[in-house]
Amino acid sequence: MAKVLITDDAAFMRMQLKDILTKQGHEVVGEAENGQVAVEMFQDLQPELVTMDITMPEMNGVDAVKEIKKINPEAKIIMCSAMGQQGMVVEAIQAGAKDFIVKPFTPERIQESVGKVL
Amino acid sequence: MTIANEKSKSITTLLNGTIASIKNVVPIQHEVNGPQLLQNALKVQFGVLIGITGDLRGKLVLTGDTKVFGGIGEAMFGMPLEGEMLSSFSGELGNMIAGGLSTNIIESGIKTDITAPTIMEGSTSLSGYEKAIHLTAAFESVGELDIYLLVD
Repeated sequence: MAKVLITDDAAFMRMQLKDILTKQGHEVVGEAENGQVAVEMFQDLQPELVTMDITMPEMNGVDAVKEIKKINPEAKIIMCSAMGQQGMVVEAIQAGAKDFIVKPFTPERIQESVGKVL
Repeated sequence: MTIANEKSKSITTLLNGTIASIKNVVPIQHEVNGPQLLQNALKVQFGVLIGITGDLRGKLVLTGDTKVFGGIGEAMFGMPLEGEMLSSFSGELGNMIAGGLSTNIIESGIKTDITAPTIMEGSTSLSGYEKAIHLTAAFESVGELDIYLLVD
């Protein structure tokens, strides 16, 4: 079981991820609607895992990963985006993300990724 | 190859990428009809707009009855959606289809990025694009969704 911070600009997607993660026994400690809020919440809540969308207003997910890694280089972040092209995946992994899930996702894919990263 | 030919080839790639993305994202049996060139301004009652930037610039617009968006949401996530969650889902559906499109067309060497979705509710008229292509996707027992590719 892990304390998780969810980041997605769509309330619907946050609800979905929260539902899936909670059913898998994790505790969702925060929900951020953009990268900037995620960075602030990461500092305050110190979650063990962060899920991160990429295309968001204010600050995108890749920039947020870089900022979070400055706060804690050991931070565990899973990208969760509709953008699955190789360049985007490579950029996110280079920024420090541990895995990349392409939307739409299944609960099984989330479980596999969380299991791998934690 | 002439510039006109190149553009026409790019539009074909964009259309095929869109159709493939819908098939990948929406788990409902469906048929895509069209494409047709839209002659007039695009009128929208409910829909979502995603900007496409990069090698090809334009917008992807999905419009339809809220019940159709709701039916797709229910098929994908197993729950009926309404109000704010329906709007949020519709934005995300646009995001997933445009994201899939962007992923599909990079195989043809077209590099694009997408913007966060804009939800349109209430009577809206869109204009100011060079070319608009209209597709209709008819989803079994859910209804039709209109898809527009507005090319700048």
